[in-house]
Amino acid sequence: MSDNHQDREANKTDLFKKKNFYQRPESSVLLCLVILIVLMGIFKTDTFLSVSNFFNMLKGMSSVGIMAIGMTLIIITAGIDLSVGSIMAVSTMATARLLAEGFHPVLALLGGFGIGVLLGVINGLIITKIKVNPFITTLGMLSMGRGLAYFLTIVATEKSVASNISIDNAFILFIGGAYLGPIPVQVIIMLVLVVISSFLLNYTVLGRQIYAVGSNEEAARLSGVNVTKVKVFVYATCGALCALAGLIEAGMLSTAATSAGMGIELDVIAAVVIGGASLMGGRGSIWGAILGAAIIAVIHNSFVQLRLPSYVQTITIGAVIILAVSLDQLRGKTK
Amino acid sequence: MKKTLFNIIAGATCLLLVSCGAEKAKNLTEKRPVFASVLTADKQDKATALKSKINRPIKIAVLGLENNPFWIPVKGGTLKAAETLKKFNCQVDWIVPAGDSHGASVFGKGIENAVVQGYDAIATVAGDSGITNFINRAVDSGVPVATFNSETEKENKRLFFVGADLYKQGEVAGAEMHKLLKGSGEVAVITGFFSVEAHELRRKGFLDKLKKLAPKVKIVSEVENKDQANLAYRQTKDFLTAHPNLSAIYVTAGGPFGAAKAIEESGKAGVVKIISYDFVDETMAYVKKGVISGTIGQDPHAQGYDPAIRLYNYLAAGVVPKAGKLLTNSDFVTKDNIDKYWSKK
Repeated sequence: MSDNHQDREANKTDLFKKKNFYQRPESSVLLCLVILIVLMGIFKTDTFLSVSNFFNMLKGMSSVGIMAIGMTLIIITAGIDLSVGSIMAVSTMATARLLAEGFHPVLALLGGFGIGVLLGVINGLIITKIKVNPFITTLGMLSMGRGLAYFLTIVATEKSVASNISIDNAFILFIGGAYLGPIPVQVIIMLVLVVISSFLLNYTVLGRQIYAVGSNEEAARLSGVNVTKVKVFVYATCGALCALAGLIEAGMLSTAATSAGMGIELDVIAAVVIGGASLMGGRGSIWGAILGAAIIAVIHNSFVQLRLPSYVQTITIGAVIILAVSLDQLRGKTK
Repeated sequence: MKKTLFNIIAGATCLLLVSCGAEKAKNLTEKRPVFASVLTADKQDKATALKSKINRPIKIAVLGLENNPFWIPVKGGTLKAAETLKKFNCQVDWIVPAGDSHGASVFGKGIENAVVQGYDAIATVAGDSGITNFINRAVDSGVPVATFNSETEKENKRLFFVGADLYKQGEVAGAEMHKLLKGSGEVAVITGFFSVEAHELRRKGFLDKLKKLAPKVKIVSEVENKDQANLAYRQTKDFLTAHPNLSAIYVTAGGPFGAAKAIEESGKAGVVKIISYDFVDETMAYVKKGVISGTIGQDPHAQGYDPAIRLYNYLAAGVVPKAGKLLTNSDFVTKDNIDKYWSKK
């Protein structure tokens, strides 16, 4: 290793120093996941450790996983987005409605994605330009988005009550319900997005800027980072990913449902937090979020396998979140 | 000075409101049918508007939801009642309270708003026992209240209920499941919410009946899907891997087509039976294909129509319903009789 390279490594802040895998928070998340899988494998060898169950769990977590990618970017910037479920619903309904009205599928898909991105941009602009707290902004968008989703099912129709819209578009059915060999297409989509977003976050200038904004927004701004652009970008990206997750769900059911995404924000945020992201900003990883989503999926699956009551599941997810955040706090204190 | 003026205006407003309430209370008869008395659909007189004995316009509020297709025929029934009662000098308004659930926190506020807006009577969903205080307060202030669709077991001052006997519906589902399983098998239950009384009554009625008729049948799992089809889909996939000998799934509330889709995808249509509720298009499509073995209706149109008409008759002509619970038809629809109830649009 040359002297210059050694100097560069020494001058890097702790944030950007290459870390041994075992030093990273994702290692503890992976360890938890492995322990869970091993335990379930012992208790339910025949059913839990089957290929079909494995892919079912992956399929079950793919929507949350895809949305968790966007949420990770937001949380790293010290933001939050409570409206992910509503954006998912409204963008799916927009696509479904455009298809039902006879629009070309490409236009319908662009319309749905466009609405997802637009709502994300609106969130970002309200937070950066008007300086409204992200929690409040996205809480408002949560309600507005849900109302818009219902509105889209009834506008310019004779109906006055929100109802589901059937979907028979081949592309949407493919991404939601098809398999390539034993692997669901939606899982492949999730993994591809994880690789791309992970690369963006770790190996591009924009990724560095995202971390910098979350670590110290003022310092980032003084360093020449366009904080507004970075924040709007992350919220818009999250909106687009919510739209994609919505299409996947609609493809899976062959229906754009008015109840799509209700309450999903809690699972998405839980996945990101369990995966090691800090709600204070500046820390988090895409792989961590996916591992967090995997832990939640394994817990959901395990409780059905173990025939435990539903309320135990909800209590456990809450306990896991508190544990994850507590461990994270303790890790921060011992450094 | 400003403070005194404000206090005088506030006091006068209160007196005015109280005197209005007192006036309404004088017009009402204290008669109410016994809370838990029941009349089935075939024994009820048809809900027909009678000639008014009072010389003033009447306003009735019907509080419902619009967040899923089940409510389409309910609202349709209310709008039909509005049309019918127009010529009787009665206005019927369909109102969706702010909030997106059956809960007391949503519908309680809806009741309070309707009272403040001067409605003479209110028909409302009563999703849980928390609504009873709101109902009782409205009745005490002189506004009769009827409930429909969901009813709490906790006794209150509501005049009557229009809807299905949810526990009995559960029993019907249990009896039909017994016929399908022929005495043994494994059953999973997907309920809407454990906190919604209506869903709980259906679940308990089903379990009690099935236990009585087929004690060998095993309940392998009970989960809640929050009325969401995508959750029902995932949960069904989990059931199929966790319980390879699964015989049937019972869905107490919304989103059964998610379970049906999962069964169909797994190639187990007809092998794993499903019993569900309501006649929404997605569900009926699966009934027609035989993926859902049967679905139980609750006549949502009557739930929207009858309360408004009967409340009008109570106010205008002093007609007290003959029973506290006026049950609607709960037809069991399978692929053999579906054409009577549903035609693909």
